[in-house]
Amino acid sequence: MSAAPERPAPSPRDEGLQPERTALAWQRTVLGVVVGALVLAAAGLRSGSTVTVCAAVAVGVLALVPAVLRPPTGGLPGSGRLYSWSFLVRVASLVVVLALVGAVWALGRALGAA
Amino acid sequence: MGRDEQDVQSGVEAPADTRRPRSVYGVGTEPDARFSLANERTALAWVRTGLGLVAGGVALTSFATFADMPGVLDVVAGVACLAGAGFAGYALVAWRRNERALRLRRRLPAPSGLPVLVVGVVILALLLAGYAVGSATGS
Repeated sequence: MSAAPERPAPSPRDEGLQPERTALAWQRTVLGVVVGALVLAAAGLRSGSTVTVCAAVAVGVLALVPAVLRPPTGGLPGSGRLYSWSFLVRVASLVVVLALVGAVWALGRALGAA
Repeated sequence: MGRDEQDVQSGVEAPADTRRPRSVYGVGTEPDARFSLANERTALAWVRTGLGLVAGGVALTSFATFADMPGVLDVVAGVACLAGAGFAGYALVAWRRNERALRLRRRLPAPSGLPVLVVGVVILALLLAGYAVGSATGS
């Protein structure tokens, strides 16, 4: 970044665009969850497993709805306080649900094939 | 930057901090918001890493429907999915540890998940390479 002149008042906008980068990281992550859910749904459709398809679609919708309803603004919060934990817990638990559905399905097929 | 003034001001004006988890926000003092944002991005990168393992495992499962030795592929896919779940959980653990260290002005803990991830990916690659060689020589 070019050397910006020192501002007298603290700006709500960060010079390093950290809030924007964080917002983009959130979008990548939500997009990844949705793509993962679509891959799982496609795999479930191919083998005709309704439960897998329903679980995958539910994970995708649960990931998308909060991201669409409350998009990240890209600014530092006015109070200076970040509320990361509940959002992190939600997206991590969606990934865990996706993983468990995929693992149960894959291992179940392996056991069934053996 | 005037960042210290802002911290002092918000420390004076702000009402009691009720954010959860209390084990993080109940200790220390508020760090620069940029450091917390960087910590959040690191946690999200771990979540995406786990997600990549899950998506790869699921893709492998659908590939196993028309491959030789589908049982082997299904086991590898299941293990990859479970490892992905583990890394998503590790993202939360690491975020909590790092945020505590930031608030207490301590050194950041070592990224203990990184060697596990590297070893796991290498094992996954070796298993799939062994499968590829085995199915090529078997057929």
